[in-house]
Amino acid sequence: MIDFLAKKLDWLDVHHWFYIFNDLSLFYIIIPFFVLELIRYAYLKRLDKDLVLDSIANVITFGGFFLVEVILGILAITKVYYWVYNNISLPHLELNWATVICCVLLADFAYYWEHRTMHRIGIGWATHTVHHSSPHFNMSVAYRFGPLDAIMPVVFSLPIVMLGFDPILVLLSEVFVQVFQTLLHTEIIGKLTKPIEFIFNTPSHHRVHHGSNRQYWDKNYAGILIIWDRMLGTFEPEKEKVVYGISQPINSVNPIVVFFHGITRFVKKLGQIKGFSNKLLAFVKPPDWMPKQ
Amino acid sequence: MKNSTLVFRSLGIIIFLAGLAHLFSFGIDTSDDAPTPTIETNAVPVEQPEAENPTEKPVANTAYNPETDHLIGQWKVAYNTEDFKGAIVYKIKKESKVFNAYTHQYQDENGYAEKAKGSKALTITSFNGSKGKGIYNIEYEGKQYEVDCKIAQVDENTFTLSYDYYGYGDVETWKRQ
Repeated sequence: MIDFLAKKLDWLDVHHWFYIFNDLSLFYIIIPFFVLELIRYAYLKRLDKDLVLDSIANVITFGGFFLVEVILGILAITKVYYWVYNNISLPHLELNWATVICCVLLADFAYYWEHRTMHRIGIGWATHTVHHSSPHFNMSVAYRFGPLDAIMPVVFSLPIVMLGFDPILVLLSEVFVQVFQTLLHTEIIGKLTKPIEFIFNTPSHHRVHHGSNRQYWDKNYAGILIIWDRMLGTFEPEKEKVVYGISQPINSVNPIVVFFHGITRFVKKLGQIKGFSNKLLAFVKPPDWMPKQ
Repeated sequence: MKNSTLVFRSLGIIIFLAGLAHLFSFGIDTSDDAPTPTIETNAVPVEQPEAENPTEKPVANTAYNPETDHLIGQWKVAYNTEDFKGAIVYKIKKESKVFNAYTHQYQDENGYAEKAKGSKALTITSFNGSKGKGIYNIEYEGKQYEVDCKIAQVDENTFTLSYDYYGYGDVETWKRQ
């Protein structure tokens, strides 16, 4: 076992495995699963215009997010990652099974904290609220992103590079966590067996995360492993029927409104807050924070 | 949950996972290379004739590119400077579409050898089988510099690496070990 974990791997092989899961999964699981969901919606007579337009809006917001991601990637991410890797990182790690597994787990843990931060600071929620604003829950919702959603992962993954992990491996691991997360956005799968529900994030756990029911707020931030939530006090099991969406619904399927509504609301909030320091605090304080007037 | 609990639990998780990765990278040696003694008793001449049996050519790898991947393996470079007289053996690996050279062994002018730390010395960013470009890490007066360099293949077992950094330049001959 130890020999297996320490066995050196070829970069081309690692790229290939990540390519199969990260890139190709869209075609062999995500799109087929979404089609299955549409059939289910039709069977349940829930396939209406709102759901179809909402799904289209989700995919369009992904286009906006992807554009920001590409610009950010070209301008900064790769350069910053490599600068950190070459200048302020621990000794560079070999490529073996142990480092790949540890990197994925660390990326998953970083995702937990990044996700938690997105929910618990004003500027984070201003962009992440887009993802939660759909009143539906299906695979297309996984692609519903806000304009600044690409920035926070950089901040939280740089420490992994500083620990000596190759920047490309870190990026691939982050995408791996995101793809796993995508698969959780479904109502088709109920609860899985207890050991799986105990260790892994599942559709049931993630439905709770998307719930607007009060007891479900700010729970189940996990990417792959739900044990992070169990260990850090944010776990909530699915009991009450989940009502999807946010506490102040946007009631729109216009992709522009969907994409920018969080930022627009945040700017309005800033306008209501008096004092420059209070305005700055609104960026890092919880989303419902208002200064004592 | 208290913030201090969150911090300590998080640090524990990070230290455990990162420590495990470092343990499997540096603490466990599963290398199937021939063991390299830290001190060699037999004198090894600085300039050796070309090796007849080049090592570490992947043979079963389907992704092997015969035009460029012959760079993979061990290469020896002789130095005769004020800072260092002797030779360094580098190990070139193909990683993520680029070739990286890591220090593998230091040999002094008397032929005594010492295992190197394995730090990255060169990244060959492009190579067409005869010429290429890269980034060479050089040390000058105790400081590290990354300088652009050019690679030119002389024959199957020799290539030259040249660089010019504000007038401070050199041409090194890399010979297959």
